[in-house]
This record gives sequence, C-alpha cells and structure tokens, in this order.
Amino acid sequence: MNRISLKKQNGDKGRAYLYILPSLLAFAIFMFWPLFRTIYLSFFDWNMIKPDKEFVGFENYIELFQNPLTYKILGNTGAYILILLVINFVVPYILSFVLSMMIKKGQNFYKGIIFLPSVISLVVGSILYMWILNPISGPLAIIAQVFGVTLPVWSKSEGLALVVLSLITSWKVFGYNFIVVLAGVTGVSQEVIEAAKIDDVPMHKVFWDIILPMSSATGLYVFIITIVQGLQYVFTPIKVVTQGGPNYASSNLIYHSYHEAFVLYRTGMSSAFSIITLILFILLLIIGFKFVEKGVYYEN
Amino acid sequence: MKTELNSMKWHILVIIIVCILIIPVVFAVSNSFKTLADAFSNMFNIIPANPTLENYIHVFEKLPFLQITLNTFFIATIVTGFKIITSLLAAYAFVYFNFRGKNLLYFVLISTMFIPFTVIMIPNYLTISCMGFRDNLWGVILPQLSDALGIFLLRQSMRTIPRSLIEAAYLENASDFKIMKDIIIPLVKPALISTGIIFFINSWNEYVWPVLVLKSKENYTLSLALQMFISAEGGTEFTIAMAVSVMTMLIPLVLYIVFQKHIINTFAMSGIKG
Amino acid sequence: MKDIIFDHVLKAYGKNVVVKGLNLNICEGERLVLLGPSGCGKTTTLRMIAGLENITDGQLYMGGRIVNDIPSGKRNVSMVFQNYALFPHMTVEDNISYGLKVQKVDPREIEERSNAAISMLDLNGLEKRKPKELSGGQRQRVALARALVKRSDYFLLDEPLSNLDAQLRVHSRKELVKIHEMYHQTFVYVTHDQVEAMTMGHRIALMYDGILQTIDTPSNVYNRPANVYAARFIGAPSTNIIEANLNEGKLIMAGQHIVPPEVWIKKMKENGGDMFYFGIRPEHTKITTDYMDNALKGIVRYTEDYGNKVGVYFDINGKELISVCDNNVPATGERVYFVPDYSRIHLFDYKTENSIGYPEDLSKHNYGVVYELRGRLAGDRKFKAE
Repeated sequence: MNRISLKKQNGDKGRAYLYILPSLLAFAIFMFWPLFRTIYLSFFDWNMIKPDKEFVGFENYIELFQNPLTYKILGNTGAYILILLVINFVVPYILSFVLSMMIKKGQNFYKGIIFLPSVISLVVGSILYMWILNPISGPLAIIAQVFGVTLPVWSKSEGLALVVLSLITSWKVFGYNFIVVLAGVTGVSQEVIEAAKIDDVPMHKVFWDIILPMSSATGLYVFIITIVQGLQYVFTPIKVVTQGGPNYASSNLIYHSYHEAFVLYRTGMSSAFSIITLILFILLLIIGFKFVEKGVYYEN
Repeated sequence: MKTELNSMKWHILVIIIVCILIIPVVFAVSNSFKTLADAFSNMFNIIPANPTLENYIHVFEKLPFLQITLNTFFIATIVTGFKIITSLLAAYAFVYFNFRGKNLLYFVLISTMFIPFTVIMIPNYLTISCMGFRDNLWGVILPQLSDALGIFLLRQSMRTIPRSLIEAAYLENASDFKIMKDIIIPLVKPALISTGIIFFINSWNEYVWPVLVLKSKENYTLSLALQMFISAEGGTEFTIAMAVSVMTMLIPLVLYIVFQKHIINTFAMSGIKG
Repeated sequence: MKDIIFDHVLKAYGKNVVVKGLNLNICEGERLVLLGPSGCGKTTTLRMIAGLENITDGQLYMGGRIVNDIPSGKRNVSMVFQNYALFPHMTVEDNISYGLKVQKVDPREIEERSNAAISMLDLNGLEKRKPKELSGGQRQRVALARALVKRSDYFLLDEPLSNLDAQLRVHSRKELVKIHEMYHQTFVYVTHDQVEAMTMGHRIALMYDGILQTIDTPSNVYNRPANVYAARFIGAPSTNIIEANLNEGKLIMAGQHIVPPEVWIKKMKENGGDMFYFGIRPEHTKITTDYMDNALKGIVRYTEDYGNKVGVYFDINGKELISVCDNNVPATGERVYFVPDYSRIHLFDYKTENSIGYPEDLSKHNYGVVYELRGRLAGDRKFKAE
C-alpha cells in the first residue's frame, strides 16, 4: 500500500474511526459487552427474573465439572465433531478432487446443485428429514420394509438421535464446505499437476503429496469452521426434533447452554457452560494454528 | 477410450450425492400439492395424481401467514441494509486508511465469527428485554447486527481494486463519498450483491433469536411458523408442513437461482486467506 | 530409435484449430527448436508430445509406436515448464527426487542421480531450501535437475529461459547445450526468442498460425528462408520484402527497377509468372549518397544507433526499407542509393510466398554452419529438411 499518498490526507484517523463507528457500535452492544457480561454472570447464581443475583464464585464451574452429565455432553460434542468432520471435511475434499481431476464436464451444474441446500433453513431441513427418516411411515421405512428391515425409532435411540441430527446439519453445511474446499483444490497450479502427470504419479499420490499440502490453508479453514459453525448449526435440529433428548443423548455443549438458560433458568450454569465452550474453541484455534502452521502452505 | 469409462463411475458417484441432497426438496414440493391421503398412499409419485392447493389454503387459515411472511421479510431487509452499509464503511476504512491498532482491531472483529452464540445469548436477551423488545421484531433484528462476515468479504473484494485508481482520485481531491460512489461500489458490486444476499438469506432462515424472543403468532417469523407443524410422526399436518416448507424455501431459492454464480464465487473466495 | 514423428496431426479446441495438419520428424538425439510468435501452436505441439493435450486427428509416433492414447506418465518424457512447476511445499532435494521415489527407484540410485544433478547445476548448499526461498535462476535449475534425474529419452522444454534476465539467459543457454551433449536425449525446445533458437537448435521448426512454415538448420533458415514469413521472422531488423514485377529482364519495385543477375532471371522464368516477392536482409545492403549503378533511390526518414552498427530507415516512393550499415550515416532527409548484395537476395513466388529456390552457381558461397554435428550422433546423420 502506498502509505505516502494516504498519510497526506488530513483528519486521516478521524474519518477512519467515523466509518468504523456504526459497525463498532453494533459490536460493542451486542458482542463485546455480552461477552464480558456472560463471564461475569458465570460467577453468580440467578434465574434471570429475580432482582438479586447471588455471587457464588467458581461454584458453577465446580458443579459443572463434577456433574457426570457434563461428561456425557462433552462426549456427545466430541461425537458430533467427529461425524461432522467426516461428512463435511473428508468427503468434500475427496469430492473436490474427483470433480476437479476426473470430471471435466458439468462442473458448474454440480456445484450449483450441491450448494443449494445451504440456502435452505435448517428448520425446513429438519422437517424434511423427520419425514424421510420417519421409521414408520416415511419413504425410507417403506423401502426398508420391502427388504424386510424395520427402521429403529431413532429419535428415541440414544446413539442414533445424535447421528441423525448430524446428518440433518450436514445436509445444509456440506454445500458450503464443498465450495470452499473446491476453490482450494482447484487453486493448485495446473502446471504442478501436469508435472506430476509426466512423472507418472498415481492419482492417490497426487492427492496426498501434492493437492492436500498445497490446499492446506483452505483445508485448515474448513476444518475449523466445520467444528465452530457446525456445532452451532446443530442447535436448530436439536431444538426442533429432540430437544436434547432422549435423556440428553443428543445434547451438546451449545444446546445444553441454551437448555440451562431458557429451560432450567440457571443463568449462572449456562454462562459457565458457554465460557467453557468458548475456551474449548480458542484452544482448538490455537492448536489448529500452531500444530498445522508448520506444514500449512500459504500461497505467499 | 479409457478415460471416458473412468469418468463414468465418478459421474455416478457425484450424481448419487447430488440426489441425496436434492431429493428432500423435490419431495417437499411434490407432497405439498397432494392431499394427506394421497401423500401417504402414493408417496413416491413425484407428480401428484390429483394436485391440490388445499394445503396452502389451510396454511393461511391456520396462521396469519401473510403477516408472518412480512415479518420475516421486514427483519431480513433491515438486518441486511444495516449490515451492508456498516460493513461497506468499515471495510473502506480498513483498506484505505492507516491508524494505530488497525490490524489488531480487524483481527478482533474477525475473530468474533468464532464466538458461539451461547456466549452472548443471555446478555443480549436481557438487553432487548430492557429495551422493551420482547415479542417484538426489533428484538430479533438487533442481535443479528454484529456480524463481521460483511467486513471480511468486502475488504477482500476492495483489496482487488488496483491501487492506482484510488490514488488518481486522491490526486483529484475527490471526497470519500465520491470515491465510494464512483469507483469502489461499481467495482465491488458482485461481492456487494453476494454479501447482501447471503445476509438476507441467513436472516430469513434465522431460528435462534425468533425462538427466544417472539411469542405471539402475529410476530412470528417463518422458521417459527414451521416449527408449529412438527410432530414426532408427521401426522395429520404433514402435507401442510410441506406447504409451509415450500413457501419458506421459496425466496431463498429464487435469490439463489438468480444470483447463483455470484454467491458461489464469493463463498469460494472466503476460504482463501488474504 | 527415439524419434518423434507427427503425421498429419491436427489439434482443435471445438471449432478453433490451433495446429493444422502438422507433419514433422524429430530425429533421435536432435535438439529441435519450435520457434514462433505467441499463439502459433508451438506450445500446443510440445504439449501433445508430452501427452498433456489430446490429439484431435492424425498420429503421433514416439520411438516407432503410436502414442496418441498413451498417458503422459508412460511416454518416458521429462519436461521443464515455463514457470518451473516446482512443488512449493517440498525442499529442493525432495522436488528433485520425488518422481524417482514414486517410481520406486532404488534409494541409492536416487541419491546418486540427485547428487549428480545438484552438482552439475550448481545447486550445492540449497538442498534443504523451499522454492520460495530461491531466486528465479535457482528455481529454473531445480526444474532442470528434476527433469534430468529421470534420464528419460525425451526432454521437453517450454520457454524455460523466458523468465530469466538477459545475463542469466546467456549462461543458461550454454548449460542446456552442455546437458544435452552429456546425455543426448531428444530435445524439443519451445521459444519465441530467435536468438535462443539460432544458437541452440540443430534445426529450427518455425510455426505460424498453427502451420509449420519451415524446418531447417539455423544457417539455412537464415540464409535460405523457405518462405516470406521465415524471411521476415528471422533476423532483426526484419528482412526487407518488396513486391516485384519481372519485365524484360528488369525487376520493377516501388516504381523503380533493378537488374538482377542472369542466373536469377533464369530461376524466375523457371518458376513462372511475373510477380514475385523480393527479399534482402538489411545487413546485406549498403547505402551511399554517391551515385551507384543498379540501385534503388530513396530518402532517409529515420536512423537508429545500435552501437556498432546503424539502422537506416528510408523511404522509396512510400515503401519503407531498412539498411544496416557501419558508419557514415546519412542524415535524415538525405537522398541515398540503396544497394543490395546481389549474392544474398531472395525471391519468393507471389501466390504461394514460397521461395523459388536458389541458382546453383550461388552455392559456391559458404553460408557457414552454426553447429557442427559431431560423429557421436548415430551414423553422423545429416538432418534433412522436411
């Protein structure tokens, strides 16, 4: 950037602050203040209605870590993360590779259709899949009956509920992730791929040794947002379909935090859970950057 | 030829994935035009034998559906308008000005995209309660206003504008407003449009804040209206639920089909760090 | 026999034909340069040899077998790309040895070949660096090393020097020839730079608009261009080309006339017709202000000083000609006499623009050979023009 011609502007700083102000205002009121307020609230016992809050120090956190339910929820969160990553990180990568290397025609058409569910509301998605996967009268159940298989009532099954909710969320998230990963994969220089072709490098090695490392910046980004955004997106199907049940089997950190706040009215606990979630996310980001940064290749 | 055969099996794989993604939508549309009995007995017919509009009519009878749609539209429009304008201004400041702490501030704003909503959920709820916006559309609008995505996307787009254009304008002593109007906006139009549409669609589909804030049916948004039709087995109101789903999907789908290229390109770029 | 034969090869993208009916024989061990302006089809031709482009029609033979449908990896070629195509996330030594590792070559062999290539290309000390830590010239050498260790029969280069600065280019040219002399692969080299072509090629294949214009040794391409395009392309400043009308032993050009040697008149009569293109290189002409017999008269419009020589642009009845001469430059506006060296003129058929040939009596002149072909090439073969 040519700093000389820009610095000569009078009132440089003033105007800049002015332009950022509206955004900043919104952030200040609805992002930064709430962040600190939540941290504050996590040290209190409150139900959002009483005029007084009772200061309890770290009690909420201690109770959180002593409650076996917390670990079930953490386990669920881990399960969600795993499933979401497999469906929305691994598969898009392989699919991008296939689309960019093996399929020449119709790329735009496929891209267009794959992305389509991403613009549709997750409430709609939940309804649609509740019907399709309906174990008694849904289309899948009917097809299964032809083969003599009965579908389990997944909404009452502790393991399956989680899986189905992950699938519903993936339906929406897949398209976006795919588009981003595809951009990263196709961004790999054609010449380099041609050089590999000439050296008779087999396809799977082209994927592992060349495409993966060279698109790793994008890959890291998608990896992180799959976790960060995926967990938040799952909230909607959970709320709509199982409300965290059966017996908290489909609840995760995010949903449980909501549950504590607006169903159990335990503001302090909810805040504590939220802060723990935040810390987890921050740790994740740090690990992501440190660990992989060595190997991540940036185009600059 | 060898390569053609290979290509075949990959095409099939992709088509399978595409089908899994699209079939729910197709079924929804198809079943929204069937009567309940028809839907259950001829589930797999894509074209209804006796198409009917009774589901759609029912929706308008059961709910103040027009009002609900308008609510959703109103919210989405206000949110989009605010975010676009503020993001444009902020991005402009970040790209073309220098001030202390600029990079730090940018970094802080962008990192808010990784904060889970539960962290800010309770205080925001308290704030809008204080303002008297419980069960009010503004209670849904306000929490959506702090979104760094616009600043990120528009900044990326502005950085592709050749420096020389702006410097020429500075030499002519052009005001910021003129520069914005005559140079920047025309050149970032694709990103601007895409970002605006993304904001609109996200707000249209927003579920968390409506569910926390809105109570009376006249104030509902479409996502809440939909929720009313969810019962564990998709019983008596299943086809009506499909009709509501279709109507909810309509605007986002239309926007998507019209601006598909723009939207996909803008999203594709978001993964490439500047 | 590690030769490459294009047999009526056509390459089209949809309706757009970029290589038209190419017939080309590249001999084993030869350094062949594909020369031409951008868009002429030379890079496409090279990529067809590499297998990176499909062949729309016709056959491509390599080492005697048809390779149209054989994938790149199985054609035993090495390629150096214009932008080097190094793997940015691998070190120099990994870049060089990657191909061999994939082929499961014995690790000791890999090490031996890598070290040989690294020494030869002066990359010692850089083995652990990544491409972004290297200069342009170093990256180019890594690309060469990577191609070299493969010990393949065919070595393809796509404008490998175009991203280097002038000094490096001269140095690299010599290195490339050295490499070829060591291993005698069949070299196919694409460039738009005629100096590279003239200094490096055993033969030059000049292409334009997808068509092979001429293929011959540098010496012949310079001294006996096969058509008007070749005459114009090779040499800077460009060959003077003038429309000429043969009439009663006189060549009428630009409203004036000259009398060419008798042997040429005979040649023109043999060819038939009375309209020709007359060609003479600027460096084979003289300009004087004194009266000269059998010369053209014109007015100096512009001069350029090249340091050791001067380029004089002058005007004969609206037609611009160029002469390159030593000193005694006439001033702009002066009337001068333009004298071609009649032993170096070229004549081309008007309709086909092909050379009408050269009278045998002129063959006494020694046009020199840019490269002597040593006997190491199998059978001391002479390269025949296509």
